[in-house]
Amino acid sequence: METLHFEYDAKEECHKRAHVGVVASGDLEVLLEPSSDQKASVTIRTGSEGFGDTWDKVLERFFASHPVAANIEINDFGATPGVVSIRLAQALEVSRNHEPA
Amino acid sequence: MNLLKLSLAELNARERVQALLDEGTFHELLDPFQRVKSPHLEPQGIIPQNDDGVVIAQGEIDGKRTLVISIEGAFQGGGIGEVSGSKIAGALELAIKDNQEGRTIYPVILFDTGGVRLQEANYGLMSIAEIGSAIVELRDSVPVIGVIPGKVGCFGGMSITAGLCSKLIMTREGRLGLNGPEVIEQEAGLEEFDSTDRPLIWGTIGGEQRVATGFADMMADDDVEIIKDGIVSFMQRAEGKPRSAQVEKYLSLIKGVDPTAEWSPASARDFINQQGSGSPSFEPAPSSSEEEKPSRGRTWFQALTDNQPSLSEDVPSVLCADAKLGNETARFLSIVPDVHHRFPRVLHGEVGLLEGWSIARYVRESMEADQGGTPRPIVAIIDVPSQAYGHKEELFAIHQACAAAVNAYASARLNGHPVIALIVGNAISGAFLSHGFQANRILALDDVGVNVHAMSKQSAARVTRRTIEELEEATKKVPAMAYDIHSFNSLGALSSLISGIDADSPSQEEVEAVRKKLEETVEDIREGGPDLKNRLISENAVNGGRKASIKVRKKLAEQWK
Repeated sequence: METLHFEYDAKEECHKRAHVGVVASGDLEVLLEPSSDQKASVTIRTGSEGFGDTWDKVLERFFASHPVAANIEINDFGATPGVVSIRLAQALEVSRNHEPA
Repeated sequence: MNLLKLSLAELNARERVQALLDEGTFHELLDPFQRVKSPHLEPQGIIPQNDDGVVIAQGEIDGKRTLVISIEGAFQGGGIGEVSGSKIAGALELAIKDNQEGRTIYPVILFDTGGVRLQEANYGLMSIAEIGSAIVELRDSVPVIGVIPGKVGCFGGMSITAGLCSKLIMTREGRLGLNGPEVIEQEAGLEEFDSTDRPLIWGTIGGEQRVATGFADMMADDDVEIIKDGIVSFMQRAEGKPRSAQVEKYLSLIKGVDPTAEWSPASARDFINQQGSGSPSFEPAPSSSEEEKPSRGRTWFQALTDNQPSLSEDVPSVLCADAKLGNETARFLSIVPDVHHRFPRVLHGEVGLLEGWSIARYVRESMEADQGGTPRPIVAIIDVPSQAYGHKEELFAIHQACAAAVNAYASARLNGHPVIALIVGNAISGAFLSHGFQANRILALDDVGVNVHAMSKQSAARVTRRTIEELEEATKKVPAMAYDIHSFNSLGALSSLISGIDADSPSQEEVEAVRKKLEETVEDIREGGPDLKNRLISENAVNGGRKASIKVRKKLAEQWK
């Protein structure tokens, strides 16, 4: 198990927090909370060690197209890059469309 | 008319609750953003989840105030740890209070769980005991409705919890059993149960079979609206006697089962639905003292009852007698090995079908006898290696037998009987949950042969996919995973650890010392309340043993509407 942290420039505001996913095999839990800093700050707990570069690439690509200023916490149980991207997109959609829980 | 089906089983725990509650009424307590997660997983290198795999929500179903508890089967197999278990127990305890004060709230539990989370072992057991107690108490005011939508199913200690519910709804995919197929195979061998044989699994513990044999109440298609309608109908229905209290019916049924016969799902259905009619009656094999295996359970039963014969003549593995304790008479109960036991999976003192139902019978017998008088103390002497692992045990619903024993002890305690558990040997898993864990106070002898745990090391290693060495390494970091009584004591559930006693062959003085301790404990219980709160306010509990359990309950109370 290791904890990773990444930051990306992000200027778009988001207004609502969002929670998606489950810490199930091949899946992950994403907590997204709006931030007043102009950056996306991502903390990842993962059971699969040694994939820091892959995480960085997946996240960099995501925030390049969605530069949302937010604090994001991820609890990962071996999700593939594809699943990670889908869950992040889902979290963003929930944060834009739904009332906060 | 809505022609589209929405599967409940395919949804995650939170989505299930949102789908069942009336629109716009969902209020979650301890939501993921509050980050109340298990403190015990990360030290073991396991990724936690921010709701610890349990969703607690208040809302409305069909306009009625409802508490929905939903277990996430995909996170750690829906295993119950300290935080997830305390979320369930704490929410049910708040519902008790509301219902007692006339603010009706209907509890609904969505089960998707393998039982105790083995990485938190004894925390899971303690929580499940507290959950069971709360359900028994709640049933006095409202029906407690359980749903098993399927994916993981409902196993281990949580199957006992399901067995306590007033009404159970299952889908065809849902499974309900005390021991999971892999665990039975591990403990009893491939011949007893092949965990890869899907027709065997579903024919034994699947939803259709459970409903057909009366161990669940409604077979529902996996559809949100149908399941919701079922919940609503059970809320309205005037309640009969819960299954776990129908002791005479099931005890006579189990007594007629021939465990050496070949049983199919169909023949089991016929047998159960004809109430065992036409079944041969079995004479217990005569037990002779020369063949009795040495057993601490027997030694202490004989010592504390002055060698009285047991009242339970036809079930020699259950010992029951009334004997002097101080100035009054107490009922003593023990479960012991019986080498002639009719059930081949119950030769070593395990808690099996007959044991669960018999314990329930003898506890309830004293409750009925003492009605209107002073409720007598009940002492459970505990030396139980495990529950029984076997195919027939699951087919004839051993979880329900265990639930009956849990129900009886909890009801006795809630009705004013001082109930004491005296651990003289092993207190393991479902066996301990059934026999002793519902006591007002738990006492234990301070001895290396006294162990408390959720599962044998071999099975626990298999289920958690670790080696035994890795498992033993983990127990050093998490006392709740350790087997020894000192580790268990550090969690705060013991009210006394009695040292200086020879647990195998106590002297007369040592027996008197234990008897004295029992007498003092009876007094102590009568001064306190009938609930299990003392486990959370003891010095060890407050000083760290139950830190998360206490915090969870406090936060739930703050957020309760």
